Amino acid sequence: MLCLIGDWKIEGYSLGIDVLDQKVGKIPPGSNIMIVGPPMTGKSVLGRMFFYNRLKDGSAGIFVSTKDTGEKVIDWFKTNDLDISRAKYGIIDCVSRTLQMDINLQDTDRIRYVSSPVDLTGISVKVNDLLEEFWKKEQIRSIGVVIESLSALLMYSNLQTVFRFLHVFSGRIRSVDAAGMYLIEEGMHDPRTQVTLKQLFQGVIETKDEGGEKLLQVIAPGCKVSGWFRYNFEGAKIDLKEI
Amino acid sequence: MIETGIPRLDDFLGGGIPTGKTLLYYIEPGVEGDVFGMQTLYHNLEKGYRGLFITSTTAPEILRESFKELGFDMSRFGDNFAIVDAYSGIIGSTSDERYVIEDPSNPSHIDEVISAAIEEFSGGTITFGSLSTIIDMVGEEKALEYIIKWNKYALIYDTVGIYNFTAWPYSPETLEKIKNEIFNAVIKVGGISKRVVYGQYYGILRVDWTEKVEKAILFKLVRPGGIKAFIPKILVTGPFNAGKSTFVHALSTRAVSVDRLGTTVALDHGYVEHKGFSADIFGTPGQERFDPIIKLLGGEALGVFLIVDSTRPEDFPRAVKMLEMTSRFGLPYVIVANKQDIKGALSPEEIGKMLNVHEEAPVVPAVTTRKEGVFEAFEILIDMVTGG
Ligand SMILES: Nc1nc2c(ncn2[C@@H]2O[C@H](COP(=O)(O)OP(=O)(O)OP(=O)(O)O)[C@@H](O)[C@H]2O)c(=O)[nH]1
Ligand SMILES: [Mg+2]
Repeated sequence: MLCLIGDWKIEGYSLGIDVLDQKVGKIPPGSNIMIVGPPMTGKSVLGRMFFYNRLKDGSAGIFVSTKDTGEKVIDWFKTNDLDISRAKYGIIDCVSRTLQMDINLQDTDRIRYVSSPVDLTGISVKVNDLLEEFWKKEQIRSIGVVIESLSALLMYSNLQTVFRFLHVFSGRIRSVDAAGMYLIEEGMHDPRTQVTLKQLFQGVIETKDEGGEKLLQVIAPGCKVSGWFRYNFEGAKIDLKEI
Repeated sequence: MIETGIPRLDDFLGGGIPTGKTLLYYIEPGVEGDVFGMQTLYHNLEKGYRGLFITSTTAPEILRESFKELGFDMSRFGDNFAIVDAYSGIIGSTSDERYVIEDPSNPSHIDEVISAAIEEFSGGTITFGSLSTIIDMVGEEKALEYIIKWNKYALIYDTVGIYNFTAWPYSPETLEKIKNEIFNAVIKVGGISKRVVYGQYYGILRVDWTEKVEKAILFKLVRPGGIKAFIPKILVTGPFNAGKSTFVHALSTRAVSVDRLGTTVALDHGYVEHKGFSADIFGTPGQERFDPIIKLLGGEALGVFLIVDSTRPEDFPRAVKMLEMTSRFGLPYVIVANKQDIKGALSPEEIGKMLNVHEEAPVVPAVTTRKEGVFEAFEILIDMVTGG
């Protein structure tokens, strides 16, 4: 690929959680990171705070929702007093058309509808549309992308299919120097699934629950090794302590 | 003959698709290509042919709505139009469609339903809304076997088979077979991308009933309206007196300039058709006070020529600035090292270095007054724009 003169430089993407950002540093541009852990360990909060942090610092965000409707995602930010109303973002809602059987849903600036979580082609079309919009119209070069979650995609399509989709998807993230976060539920899939998908990612944020105590660690290239942190979360707040 | 109903494509295919033949839209992931099959189906329903659509990513109700958004009202075709529902089974809901694939994980069941449908729709069209999903469900090898069988069926029953296929990274053998063996015609639907996809095109990869036309058509998707072809804009920019107007005229089959005292005060405009690719060419004025025009056009253009006078390195900083202005849009560009006929002209390599561009950036030597290097530069840019 050619390199243009006057090319942009993106420093990296912070995770949006104070202690982590100090200890771990920034996620390098072009990274694809998997967020994996058992249910109820705050993976969504990590993904959503990463998304929010993009919107806060003037970059753009793309949120692919395969679990909640787009409306519900926006509500979450409102409920937690996180103002995203003036930010540049798009939510790709793979749920509303299928679950609510609402055929009259029209795309808005904020929410783009895909016909179902089976429609991986549709998801990549909408992501491309948003990338183009941010790049060309808004001239934003720093974009954070969150998929919440892969587990829902894996319910309707087999591993091979999702792998191929992610292969293309993560490649696109790399080529625009964006950063991608991909949530996956531990224990919902056979071990092969996680191992196979892991090949596509440059890093992983792992959460675990040890007898009620929550722990997380970040392993990503270019980041300082973090080790395990003990943490608690409530709403959109994550309190972190180093062990 | 069944027409595709896609602008210009039928001309390229010698009028359309003969009955019993198959055509596949080979769609790059991320490009909105599903509409191709939908448009072909609708076009033929309108012409009075019967048509069948196999849906495997979308619920039938939602599918009907997507047709409607495109301005394609399917309700008026009555029994001439039917849906094969291969979707509801995947998400575990029930279906009222005439044909239902209840167990999409069972290949012989899929085959049974589809074969019966092909037979019943003899003389009409059958459109696979997403062949890739069927391949995903059945597995690559098995799916290919079945497709070959369905295509034979189509031949026997004079049905035209239309396939939408998203070219995910399947095995090279599978992709090769799909591209070059199994279908009578393959139409590539691709994205024009430089980091982000900012344009889309289609063109013939393969056709076995007529001579292949090597042309790429750019298109936009309009709702309602469907696929519309359009002619891309290409920008010619560069410092004062570098030879921009001369370049536009050399490249174009027809062109006009608005000049005063030999310098351009508005735009040069030309139209070029070369090697199957057509474009509108816009030359910008070189003087700084016209910079807003460059910004205006840059947002619309698909590629940029930067013309420099190879004998005037003192103008290069200005050239770099102009390139920066256009590159903000992430467009591919070719640098034209013009006036190579003048003694003391710098070489393309030297110019590349002095402009401080990436070593792979194309710098094409040219004498635009003699049309030398002009079409070479155009071909390089087209290759960049269409991804080679
Ligand atoms: N020797 C030589 N002269 C050239 C060549 N190309 C253009 N010229 C001359 O350079 C002068 C400027 O050419 P134009 O095409 O008007 O340049 P321009 O970039 O459109 O100029 P502005 O619109 O004023 O910025 C003319 O006298 C051309 O004849 C070339 O390849 N060799
Ligand atoms: Mg001129």
